Amino acid sequence: MKILVVDDDMHIQRLYKEELEEEGYEVVIASNGKEAIELFDSETPDIVTLDILLPDVDGIRLLRQMKEKNPKLPIIMSTAYDYRDDFAVWASEAYIVKSSDLDELKSTIKKLLGKQ
Amino acid sequence: MDIAHLQKLNEIIFENILDGIIMVDRNYRILTANRSIERWTEKPASDLIDKDCRDIFQNIPWICPDCVAEVTFQTGKVHTVMQIGDHKGSTYYAELSAYPIMDKSGEITECVVFIKDVTERMLYQEKILGSYSKVIQKNEYLEGIIENSADAIVTADLNGTVTSWNKGAELIYGFTEHEVIEKYLPFIPDSIMDVEREYIERIKKGETIKHVETMRKAKDGTVFEVSITMSPVKAASGEIIGFSCISRDISNRKIIERELINRNQELSRLFFISSAMRGTLELERLLRMVLTAVTMGDGLGFNRAILFLVDEDKNVLKVAMGVGHTSHEEAFQIWGRLSLEKKTLSDIMYEIETGSLKKDSLFDKLSRGIEIPLSEETILTMAVKEKKPFNIQNVIEEPLSDVVLVQQLGTYAYAVSPLISRDKVIGAIWVDNLFNRRPIFDEDMRFLSAFSNHVATAIESARLFERITLAEQELENIFESISDMVYFISEDYVVKSINKAVSDRLGKPSEEIIGKKCYEVFHGLKEPWANCPHYKTVDEKKAFVKEVEDPYLGGTFIISSSPIFDTTGKSIGTVNVVSDITELKNLRERLIMTERLAALGEVAARVAHEIRNPLVSLGGFAKRLEKKLDGNLKEYADIIAKEVERLEGILSEILGFVKETRIIKEIVNSNKLVDDVLFLIKSEIDEKGILLDKELGEPVDLYVDPNRMKEALLNILTNAVQAVGSNGTISIKTFVKNNAFVVEIKDSGVGIAEEDLPFIFDPFFTTKKIGTGLGLTITHRITEEHKGSIEVESEPNKGSTFRVFIPLNKVADKK
Repeated sequence: MKILVVDDDMHIQRLYKEELEEEGYEVVIASNGKEAIELFDSETPDIVTLDILLPDVDGIRLLRQMKEKNPKLPIIMSTAYDYRDDFAVWASEAYIVKSSDLDELKSTIKKLLGKQ
Repeated sequence: MDIAHLQKLNEIIFENILDGIIMVDRNYRILTANRSIERWTEKPASDLIDKDCRDIFQNIPWICPDCVAEVTFQTGKVHTVMQIGDHKGSTYYAELSAYPIMDKSGEITECVVFIKDVTERMLYQEKILGSYSKVIQKNEYLEGIIENSADAIVTADLNGTVTSWNKGAELIYGFTEHEVIEKYLPFIPDSIMDVEREYIERIKKGETIKHVETMRKAKDGTVFEVSITMSPVKAASGEIIGFSCISRDISNRKIIERELINRNQELSRLFFISSAMRGTLELERLLRMVLTAVTMGDGLGFNRAILFLVDEDKNVLKVAMGVGHTSHEEAFQIWGRLSLEKKTLSDIMYEIETGSLKKDSLFDKLSRGIEIPLSEETILTMAVKEKKPFNIQNVIEEPLSDVVLVQQLGTYAYAVSPLISRDKVIGAIWVDNLFNRRPIFDEDMRFLSAFSNHVATAIESARLFERITLAEQELENIFESISDMVYFISEDYVVKSINKAVSDRLGKPSEEIIGKKCYEVFHGLKEPWANCPHYKTVDEKKAFVKEVEDPYLGGTFIISSSPIFDTTGKSIGTVNVVSDITELKNLRERLIMTERLAALGEVAARVAHEIRNPLVSLGGFAKRLEKKLDGNLKEYADIIAKEVERLEGILSEILGFVKETRIIKEIVNSNKLVDDVLFLIKSEIDEKGILLDKELGEPVDLYVDPNRMKEALLNILTNAVQAVGSNGTISIKTFVKNNAFVVEIKDSGVGIAEEDLPFIFDPFFTTKKIGTGLGLTITHRITEEHKGSIEVESEPNKGSTFRVFIPLNKVADKK
């Protein structure tokens, strides 16, 4: 299973990559919107974790673009700030606030991939 | 009757008859004489007997009884002569009659002579004769005048049948005497027949109508102006049997007169009228002046006048006022009175301008209701629309005549002139001459038009003035009813005028405020208040706005102070408008707070990234270290990971609090909402072995943000779970009370100390070892955002009860 992690924080990229690879997933990393779309097309991930605040484009727009390409692909919004009240994020399959405890992230990924 | 008696009777008559009687024989010897003879002979009658008659009357030579008797003796017939003579210095007339007395043979033996004093009768007769000759002379003279007069002199009986017709009449009217005698007055135009009958009625009462200017019609049909004098003709008995009418053709005179008068006086009249009117700004008064000027003989001299004004809203011409009489009779009475009172136009103008406004005349009332839609095509509306005057000589021949005027006012001919002010038609003046039937001439129209222009300007000014007066009243009303305090202060701080709000706010009647120093009444000070903007306004002569805190009145006020100047530009004080913004200020402060919070929310997202991201890496890698390390190092990594988790928790709470909340409301089933919350906390409840007592009432529709509302309830439940500890009880009930959905959460926990109760909703207030102290603050805020409320009851060591009220009417509104 391939996970596309979209986040501009290089430490978080590494943390997610190591932790998720330990769980047995293949992890590809994108640092901005442009890379994210390229990898989304080339790598055809099974799931995406998506930050909202990115250097070139906001994550909501990215979410919409990815949903247009593949409406069924699960996307987890993973952000530092709680945007849960923003209905735009409802288009995603899940919403989590980033935490040093990655259990919620891992269980969400597992749940969403298990459904497929 | 016997002879003796007859004899006696004869004697009585003989002695008492006023005529002197003597009887003479052929020798003129007086046989008998009565007493009346003594008037002439101045001797007793008995002395005359047997005397010679010729001797007796010798001294009265102009009385000669023997002369009369002599003729009778000779002719044997009664003979009468008139004898005239002087007697005691006066002329006397005596009529002597001799009657023959015959004997049986038929011979005249004696004569009886009657001497009658006919002086009075003769003198009277002479007088009559003299008069008669004079009358004849005069008559001839009069007839000469009449016949040769340039004036038409006509007499007629009371029915108007012509009895005489002079040459003048023939020249002026064109009818010969032959054509008109015994016929009805032929020269009266049909249009003024009524007026003429009115004149005849007055003549019947003995009046003379002098120098009335009217119209006459010649044989060829031309109508021209004449001046007439009509006098009654009386019979010898004094009875009025007819009238004479002298008419003079004044057309020429009129024309010259008009030219002169009009040219010279038009301007002065107009000047007078318009200057009088310009001074009168009261519209009602002005209109009356205008119409009086139009109808007075000294003015334009029309019989009736109506002033129409354009009502733009209704698009009609509306009668503003009418002046004139309702009947011929009234017209004549008033004209008569006016000419008796000798009031000039300026007298009357002055009366209208200064006197009390008279009650509306009947004509005014009659005309006031009239409205003519401007959409109609009539003479009046055309005058307005085309901005030009019209002179309608005969309404019957003019198809566009205003029917309403013909029907309601009985007009047969009229003129209309538009009132134009600054190129805008504001109305029209309508005039007619119903009573004297004088046609309206071009000169009249010129005058009327010139007058209209002046009037229009004056009316426009008066209307403006009226509007200003209204506006003033309105201002006065606003001044009184405005909730802000408004007051005028003179330069030396004296309160001159205040509105009701001032006396309300100060709690004093206006009498106790006006005239006082402003710093005394407004600030309770003995000298001007340092913060007062009045001083600065007076000083700089500029409007000035200042927000002040006034401890005396206990509030915050915005004072707008503007200087006021008299007509010469001298500053006389300030007008101040004061708004009490105490309440507003409180609101404003809260708004500022909210804005700050919102701004905080803006940056919160960015801050979150800057802090949370490093925390996530820090904690995440610490956890990874923990897995790979042993002993103390593993413990250190664990400490780092735990502390990071704590920091993350604090960050979430703080960010959640400052975050701008956007409520997205939807209709939610009340029981589902509660069940969802319970589901979220169920694991914790189960873990701790807490007994949950759930008692949900009939579900209702709530119009709330379900996520926010869940958060609110969850915070209370979380606190309850923490408070009860193991084996405690939490009961949750829902019901509807006072149009609100109520969620009651009751725990058997530690409870809240009485002294802590007032603070439980304050931010960062907590008695717990864990948590930020923001939970209930957030709950409280969410509830307020939904216009709901929270009730708390608590007893230490027994537990707490929270009731959240969510209003239901919002649901009804939404549906």
